[in-house]
Amino acid sequence: MQQQETIIQVNKIFKTYRLGEVHVPALKNVSLTIHKGDFLIITGRNGSGKSTLLRQLGLLDKPDSGEILLKNKDVTKMPERERASIRLKRLGYIFQEYALIAELSAVENVMLPAMMLESSASCRKRAIEVLKKVGLEYKIKNLPRQLSGGEQQKVAIARALINHPEVIFADEPTANLDSIAAKDVLKVFKRLNEHDQSTIVMITHEEEETAYGHRIIKLADGSLV
Amino acid sequence: MKAEYKIPFILSWKHLLRSNKWTLSLIIFFMSIAFINMIFVPSLFNGIVDGFNKQIITTTTGNILITPRDGKDFISDSSETINRIESTDGVTAASAQMLVPGTLKFDGKKGSWSIYAINPDQEKKVTTVSEKIIDGEYLDPSDETGILLGNDITSTETTNEGDNPFSLKGASVGDTVAVIFGNTEYEFTIRGIFKTKFNTADQRGFITQEALKKMNPGYVDEATSISVTINLEGDEENVMQSLKDRGVRENIYSWQQASSLMSSVSDSFLSINVILSIFGVLIAAITVFIVIYIDISSRRQEIGILRAIGIRPYLIRAMYIILSAVYSVAGVLLGTVLFFAIIVPYFNAHPFVLPIADAKLLVNPGDFIARLETLIWVAIAAGLVPAVTITRTKLLDAIWGSK
Repeated sequence: MQQQETIIQVNKIFKTYRLGEVHVPALKNVSLTIHKGDFLIITGRNGSGKSTLLRQLGLLDKPDSGEILLKNKDVTKMPERERASIRLKRLGYIFQEYALIAELSAVENVMLPAMMLESSASCRKRAIEVLKKVGLEYKIKNLPRQLSGGEQQKVAIARALINHPEVIFADEPTANLDSIAAKDVLKVFKRLNEHDQSTIVMITHEEEETAYGHRIIKLADGSLV
Repeated sequence: MKAEYKIPFILSWKHLLRSNKWTLSLIIFFMSIAFINMIFVPSLFNGIVDGFNKQIITTTTGNILITPRDGKDFISDSSETINRIESTDGVTAASAQMLVPGTLKFDGKKGSWSIYAINPDQEKKVTTVSEKIIDGEYLDPSDETGILLGNDITSTETTNEGDNPFSLKGASVGDTVAVIFGNTEYEFTIRGIFKTKFNTADQRGFITQEALKKMNPGYVDEATSISVTINLEGDEENVMQSLKDRGVRENIYSWQQASSLMSSVSDSFLSINVILSIFGVLIAAITVFIVIYIDISSRRQEIGILRAIGIRPYLIRAMYIILSAVYSVAGVLLGTVLFFAIIVPYFNAHPFVLPIADAKLLVNPGDFIARLETLIWVAIAAGLVPAVTITRTKLLDAIWGSK
């Protein structure tokens, strides 16, 4: 049996938020491994620490202790500049609220991260290709406010894909969508995972959405259960 | 050029193009008002000082005042001196004045005022007294019995100190006043009353040189002062040198030197101007800062998202610097148009009426540029500070607010 390539190794991370005098433990001694081509689903109740875990993995936040190895390199100790570079080149992050730039069209939102790395002409070409991949090739010039929630989320997925990330993180990407749009978005993830071997880590607390993943981990009170 | 350098330009351009036009217009309008506020006060004070200076020049001293050389009471042979002055490069005209030491008397009231014997035609070329007649008419050169009086001499107006105790109170055109010269009273008919609004001038009276000759047959072509106007304002020093070179041996003073008290008043106005301008700049700076700070702070989440997807913080800061610069330049342009197309013409047509002069708005190009630069730099700082703050806060706080 072929050994799966480990992309992310999480070792005993802890994270506590301070709300004034109160310390709220969000992650307690979490360890896990993410392999190339995984479609990992993280579930758990509200406040269980799912989003906190995803933000640590997506390098939006740092754990208080423990380590996160991205291809065997500890990213928790890196300066913000290096972490930003990793976010740009190696990771894709999809927010629950789409998080598009309101004044940029669909294609401009998608090409924005790529413009950090290459000329805008080639970025545009690639952005259109990625938008095609998520089924939005006919709305490339639309502004976010001219798109439905599902379409906006597809633009956010395309933006996450534009720099060919090693891992895509999606924080409850269907939470604000109706069931049809949600299925549409999930199909995109499925296709990306099956056809392009994209590694996907997705949070959901919808039971039926867990069926899209290969692996499911559940968090409760900041710990894996 | 690195591809990423285009990002702030593209982001700011799209922002300007597609953001709420009403908000954008409001920001630019606020900037223009702040800019107008910055240039209005100094322009007003420049206008007051300029109006004040012009009053000194046009009603009393001319640009240059010539007085008898040291040790002499009079400029003798004043006609010859005037010919020499008027033939000097840069001189427009000159007029000799002879101070008549005397007392005015009317209807039982009397007081001492400066009465000057002049050639009305020459004086007309140097001062604006002839244009400021509010009642009656200007003097004719051959008039031997007429007198022209300043409004302060005849005024019945009540001043802040109460009734003007020195006024002839109500003497009007056609009335006879007596000029007591030596021990003799000479009767004069008031031909006209003038009001320049400049009290030094309005406390003067004028008679003709012919009238003085009649009063004092020994008077021959003498003057206690000669007022000179020049072609180019501000060129006093050069013309004074030319007058000396032409052989004018009398004492020659610029209007500033001749009216040292007046110029100290001008200096005081300028000092007030500086103080008020500092406050004006400060208020405008705070206004601009707040407007831009609010605009950028409201985009906190957008900045967080840009950071989250890997856009480098310096590019985000550059974007907001560009935006702030565009806001401020647009505000300056709009403010300049509003100021020069509406405000300045309005105040030229309806100047501020002050007791000493009518003040219009006068823009000093140096002040204008300094304030323009200040506004742009303040706007850039106002854009930079929140952008730096937000790009330095924790990423999660930038996107979702403080936990």
